[in-house]
Amino acid sequence: MGLSSAAEIDGAQLCIFDLRRGQQEGQELDKILFFHPADCPILLQLSVIGLCEGIITFTRIFSPEDDCEVIESDKHCHVFYQAEPDIWMVLVVQKIKDNESTLRFGALQGILKESHSLFAMFHGPIRTLLDRQPSAEFARGHLHTFITDYLSDFSVGKKLQLPTYRDSLTERGTVQMLTVSREVALEVQSLTTVLGSCLRNVICQSVVLFEDLLVSTTLPMDDTLNLYTYAILRLTPSALSSNGNSWSYLRKGGYVNADTTLSSANGAASAERYNSRSRDTSPGGQNQMHHNFRPLQREKLSKGKDGFVAADFVTTEIRGAVPLNPILWFHQAEERMYLCVYQHKNLTILLVIPASSLINGEEGIAHVKRHLLENASQNIVTVEQKLSRGWGGENAYHVGGYRYILSDPNRKVSRASPPGKVITLSKDSLLALNRLRGEIDLEKSRAKRSDPTHDKDYEVCIRAKNNAWIIAKISRGKELYMAIEKGGETLLYASTAVEKFSNRYCEGAFSTD
Amino acid sequence: MYGQVLLILTKSVNRCFEKNPKFDMAPLLGGTDVVFRSLIHACSWNPATFLHAYTCLPLAQATRQAASAALQDIADSGVLFALLMCDHKVISLVGLQNATLHPDDILLLANFILSSESFRTSESFSPICLPRYSPMAYLYAYVHFFDENTYLTLLTPRSDAFYDLKDSRARIQDVLLKSNVLLEVQRSLHENVLRVEDVPIDLSSQFTSAPAQSSQGLNSQPLSSDEAIGGPAGLWHFIYKSVYLDQYVSSEFALPIRNPKQQKRLYKAYQKVYASMHDKATGPHRTQFRKDEDYVMFSWITQDFELYAAFSPLADKTQAIRICNRVCQWIMDLQDRVFIHGESTIAWQYHHCWGDV
Repeated sequence: MGLSSAAEIDGAQLCIFDLRRGQQEGQELDKILFFHPADCPILLQLSVIGLCEGIITFTRIFSPEDDCEVIESDKHCHVFYQAEPDIWMVLVVQKIKDNESTLRFGALQGILKESHSLFAMFHGPIRTLLDRQPSAEFARGHLHTFITDYLSDFSVGKKLQLPTYRDSLTERGTVQMLTVSREVALEVQSLTTVLGSCLRNVICQSVVLFEDLLVSTTLPMDDTLNLYTYAILRLTPSALSSNGNSWSYLRKGGYVNADTTLSSANGAASAERYNSRSRDTSPGGQNQMHHNFRPLQREKLSKGKDGFVAADFVTTEIRGAVPLNPILWFHQAEERMYLCVYQHKNLTILLVIPASSLINGEEGIAHVKRHLLENASQNIVTVEQKLSRGWGGENAYHVGGYRYILSDPNRKVSRASPPGKVITLSKDSLLALNRLRGEIDLEKSRAKRSDPTHDKDYEVCIRAKNNAWIIAKISRGKELYMAIEKGGETLLYASTAVEKFSNRYCEGAFSTD
Repeated sequence: MYGQVLLILTKSVNRCFEKNPKFDMAPLLGGTDVVFRSLIHACSWNPATFLHAYTCLPLAQATRQAASAALQDIADSGVLFALLMCDHKVISLVGLQNATLHPDDILLLANFILSSESFRTSESFSPICLPRYSPMAYLYAYVHFFDENTYLTLLTPRSDAFYDLKDSRARIQDVLLKSNVLLEVQRSLHENVLRVEDVPIDLSSQFTSAPAQSSQGLNSQPLSSDEAIGGPAGLWHFIYKSVYLDQYVSSEFALPIRNPKQQKRLYKAYQKVYASMHDKATGPHRTQFRKDEDYVMFSWITQDFELYAAFSPLADKTQAIRICNRVCQWIMDLQDRVFIHGESTIAWQYHHCWGDV
């Protein structure tokens, strides 16, 4: 059976398959769209996917409306995500006996969701690629390069180091916002207005980041989230500084642990000015670019002398050829957009231009860039200075005595204790927090299935065996998870601590009336 | 469930699979579906399924001692364990020196006996296996019902002991009748219940060694109309387990949660809290407070006891903590009635290391 076969492979596996394909006997291979590790024997791949398909079919008998989410066996955990109708992503993770890597289904599913969202932003929905080319060559090719590049962030040697209990105060699928004063907010608004008018008669959208925090956005939230995620993975100053190295950095607490100085290799790589991200499958020279189009490939991204972050995806043979149309697909905005990235010190501006408004893509982008440099430079410098002046450093959102994460899944926003502070928590506290979050994940799932329209309030307060207080509070859709290690002994102490935090930092969202 | 299979077949059934992987076990379990259904149903109402403890029928100390004395009479007859039970509750339990009975074995044995109609109609002698005591071997259970609820189980390793045990039962029955134990048992069934409304809230009965969860103020506030339905501070139900004795006691259900569906929901909530408190990687935790739309729940684990209490979801935290303290004190005051202590058994050896639960 599949389960025993999966156990023969060391480490995690990630597979993507289409249930509409390969249903004829002898053609089962056709349903496989992606498999990691790629060198896994094909029979083993089929075995894993066959088991997953069997589980999906079986659970559909009892629950046709709701997707299977997770199956736990003695040695493995299978996490399911139906990314698009009948297109499934499954992460198979091996359990380790010493309980150190206590898995949390929500965190693992977050990886699947994030990778798919990013893929769809660059390449469009997988189903669309398959419909356009039923042989699935492009779909498989793009998935192979994109997901492999995405997983490189988790790679330690040949294995994947997936989120563990040490990541219990992080949350994928959310942006972290910078709180600014009213004065700075006005400056930012002014900048956004100027950025919006970089193309005559057409409003450009923009997303502005300072360090790894979101300052402003004019895009809908889902699209902002995708772009923000991509930015902190590859485009912000801290991401770029780690791009210069050929090996991937381990994530600590969800952030890239990177050297802050730019590698000298970046300067040499900045020769090409490509803001191109193509998903266009039209024939001709543009297709030659597809296998080189790897927006998550670290080494290809760098900041040029003009301040624009560019990617060098072109092989030397076709350097100088007509560049591709740079397109991202924004699901919520329902538009194809060009992406233009400008960076000044710690400020990163993602300028997004409707593709339909640029007849000649490359010339139009050059014009936009000129307009930005001419008209927005002063605003950019001012905003950057003011934000830097008010910047509290990486511990800006540290609250003494608390280790927390605050999350609003509806608005897709979160705020957390800085990673440097989270690691001061003891292993027992982190394990307990991770376990509690896992319980809450299941409760949320159940609540959504029984009543999708109604957010269920929930509160748990645990005094762990090491005397730490481990707290979870869900109130009107917002979530607060917290560990307090050096606190009082009574439950009332813990409750009061949460109230104080809530009143001071959450506008009373978690306070009891 | 696995334990129940072993009770019927012993673990030796594994050898059949080793010899022949296609071996079909189903015929060996013929007629036992009612036993398994009963066990599944027990997960909805019997805390023993997750607490790994057993509960006793509340009895006056004198009655308990009389019951134990009756059972001790058979100490020399080759009986390994003697259990006098009332439904799923233990009246008295006697074990031969160095022999210990795991609460899970008591649960499975009681379930097996009570779900099989044949045990009630006449005295029976049946091979059974106690998975925790000795999973590979059969023991033999002599079972006799004195009335609709009260039954005696004598466990022996001897397969030819039926007539000896029949005689032993007659002697025990005689003593139980003379000492009015069976009458007291019937009375206790209908009268002796722990009602949440009876939890004393008098400050003079402060429990000195309660966990350090005392509230800041002991001002009694008027109860809301919601909280008034049920016990003080909106207490709806509690379960108290004595860690040392491996016994638990639970209250009656308060009015708001009297129907079976609500009770099933409460037990599911208890199971979640229990699993959370006892998780292998992180537990055991010391205290937990949990609030959702259905309940406010408290749980405490100390070296001596575990408490699980369910309140109305509108319950005030401070008052609820105070009432939890009161419950602990109350149970300590009643312990001679609600628990069986060592003096009621012969050479009762308590082992805390039950192994992997």
